Amino acid sequence: MAVGSFACADLLTSAPGEGDTFDAPVEGLTAGERAAFVRGDAEFGRRFSPASGLGPVFNNVSCASCHSGDGRGRLENSLSRIGSAADGFLSELGGPQIQDRAIPGAQPEPVPAGVAVSVRLPPPVFGVGLIEAIPEATIVALADPDDANGDGISGRPNWVFAGAYVPASEPGAGTGLKLGRFGRKAQTSSLLEQTVEAYHQDIGITSEFRPTENRNPMSGLPIDALDAAPDPEVPTSTVQAVVHYIRALAPPAAGALTAARAEGEALFTSIGCALCHTPTLTTGAHKLSALAHKSVPLYSDMLLHDMGDALADNRPDGSATGREWRTTPLWGLRLMRQFLHGQAFLMHDGRARSVEEAILQHAGEGLSSRTAFAALSAAQRAALLDFVESR
Amino acid sequence: MTRTIIRVCVGLAALGAIVITGAVVLHLIATPVAAQQRDTSRTGAQADTGDRPFVRGGVYDKPFENRLGSRTAFGGYAEAHARYERADGANEESGFVAKRFNLFASARVSDVVRFASELEFEEGGEEVKVEFAAIDLRIHPSLAFRAGMILSPLGRFNLSHDSPLNEFTDRPLVSTELIGVALSEPGFGALGQFRVGSGGRVTYEVYATNGFNDGLITNAEDGTRLPLGRGNFEDNNASPAFVGRVAWSPRPALELGVSAHHGAYNVFETEGVIVDDRRNATVAVVDFDAMIGGTRVQGEAARATVQIPPGLAGIYSGSQRGIFVEAIREFGRGLVRTLPASTFAAKVRWDAVDFNTALPGDSRIQFTAGVNFRPTAESVLKLDYVRGRVRDDFNNLGNRAALLLSLATYF
Repeated sequence: MAVGSFACADLLTSAPGEGDTFDAPVEGLTAGERAAFVRGDAEFGRRFSPASGLGPVFNNVSCASCHSGDGRGRLENSLSRIGSAADGFLSELGGPQIQDRAIPGAQPEPVPAGVAVSVRLPPPVFGVGLIEAIPEATIVALADPDDANGDGISGRPNWVFAGAYVPASEPGAGTGLKLGRFGRKAQTSSLLEQTVEAYHQDIGITSEFRPTENRNPMSGLPIDALDAAPDPEVPTSTVQAVVHYIRALAPPAAGALTAARAEGEALFTSIGCALCHTPTLTTGAHKLSALAHKSVPLYSDMLLHDMGDALADNRPDGSATGREWRTTPLWGLRLMRQFLHGQAFLMHDGRARSVEEAILQHAGEGLSSRTAFAALSAAQRAALLDFVESR
Repeated sequence: MTRTIIRVCVGLAALGAIVITGAVVLHLIATPVAAQQRDTSRTGAQADTGDRPFVRGGVYDKPFENRLGSRTAFGGYAEAHARYERADGANEESGFVAKRFNLFASARVSDVVRFASELEFEEGGEEVKVEFAAIDLRIHPSLAFRAGMILSPLGRFNLSHDSPLNEFTDRPLVSTELIGVALSEPGFGALGQFRVGSGGRVTYEVYATNGFNDGLITNAEDGTRLPLGRGNFEDNNASPAFVGRVAWSPRPALELGVSAHHGAYNVFETEGVIVDDRRNATVAVVDFDAMIGGTRVQGEAARATVQIPPGLAGIYSGSQRGIFVEAIREFGRGLVRTLPASTFAAKVRWDAVDFNTALPGDSRIQFTAGVNFRPTAESVLKLDYVRGRVRDDFNNLGNRAALLLSLATYF
């Protein structure tokens, strides 16, 4: 009977192992929340065409087209950002984001010469609901902007303004400075804003939050004559479904902590990696109860750190300087290559092709840990890398 | 405007010249056969001149049509599915589908003029379309003119895909996803056949058509999809496309065909104003159909090239390909004693389609195996097991499987 069941299950396909994907919901959702999750999943995967609203200028055709399996993207999906608040995000040159593609008849935006261009690899989208649910006080308490404890690490929050269109009911909404949590520089405080801007900037899809088409400012084309889809191109319910979907995405499970990995974990702590890549934070109350009061093994303090000249993009964002980046969570690295056709793209622009390369590119506040890593024996480095790549 | 008129005139003149020259040349090198096609307008069911049909199962080879009146015949077919489909361990589309209900009508208007049509109701009437409605003017077995809504001779399967004839519940991926069977277009052209050697023949069909439209991109949310560029009932660019197929059959149970479809799909000129670059879609297909030791083996391979607007490069594919090969072995004739004409058939098919040859992903591959039961030749009960793999743009793998039970019959 058991053999028969196995054979039948195999003949009719079997599900991936629990915790082995980036697109599973967190545990504890109600039936209604799961139903909304399923709708959001479909909208996240929905590819737009010119007839359904794509463009006029855009970077890709769907959310899922940039986030492989809901994980990170590859180099071809990278986005180019220019400008900052000080220079109006160079909007006259196509900023803050260059749309390198366009529907027939429209003109894509060229990457302008002579300005700092920050190339950003699409980050994973799983686990963002848990990140949202970490209390602001928890993150702020980890900050040490003046390195008062003398450990060489001076993390600080990115205080940003939320989009005025973000409903007050959304976490991270409101007037005044808010704690940035999302994006490579923690430049966004609200998941809804992140979603609305991705629709608008990445896909060229208008919503009731951003009802006007994004245009190539250097083109004199009467783009409304070419764009046949009426605005807004997605209703608020679609945006809300996608926000709910990514909010409820669970991080994949970490791999087993073998003896070698335990040694790697100890080294990870002893050489100072864990000072920024904080292994675990705990969520507080959240309107989605499945996210509330959970231990979150993200390996990040959610703070900005100076990463040195080589990694600097020289493009301030919010209160983040051109040398600062938010500590990237390490969860999901176990499955990274599986969803990138055996490849690895790490750091903000995917320049590192392995965890070891990524570590060796750390500078600034990460320099002492990088130096300590380089001084480890080959076996110790292997154990540490095995541990990190098992998260 | 003048340029458009000149282009259309030149195109039609070129088509006419090609057709007539081809017919004359072929006429000189081969002896025409006595009749061009099987004629079903006489007494219906099994009317047959003894000659081979132009395309087995194609237009004018509907053996179960019934005569109504002196020269008009009616018929059709229906098809229904029970489907159980799974993807990566989860139920997908499962349920029952009233897949197709097609009506045929044909008429022998005179000794030289015939008309045939096929009206399709798909998915319970969700889609209704005239799949074929064309007039034939037969000058000679080697030359007939055809005009109307034609079935584009792009691969053999597009010309012969009636569900009771197709041994599998689903059509091949390359047919549905790449070529867009049934691909029918308004067109005008010629067809004919020539005897070549002893028992052999060559058939040809060549037409000017309205071609694809830019829906293959502007409506295509999954990337370039030629089937979404069908339905060009009104010409969009005053530039005809050309489609043709030549098939060589050295003996009755063997046919090899090559075919192609080429033309501009976008609006590049309107009222004499150049509004865009001209962009072409080209599809080339090779097909074969053979009976080998009692097993019917058939297949097609297709390659599509689509010129993509520069702003969409890297998102929409400019190159696609697909293939299917299938084998069907009949057995157990009369095994069911109460149905002496009944037969069983075992079948296997392998098919694949690559939607973007520039990427390692964006492809589908599947294997189908099953068994059929035909109580009589015109009806079939099909059971299929399908196991397939889907790769997305990132080359992430998804597994699919399906159990399909379907019933199809001519009437």
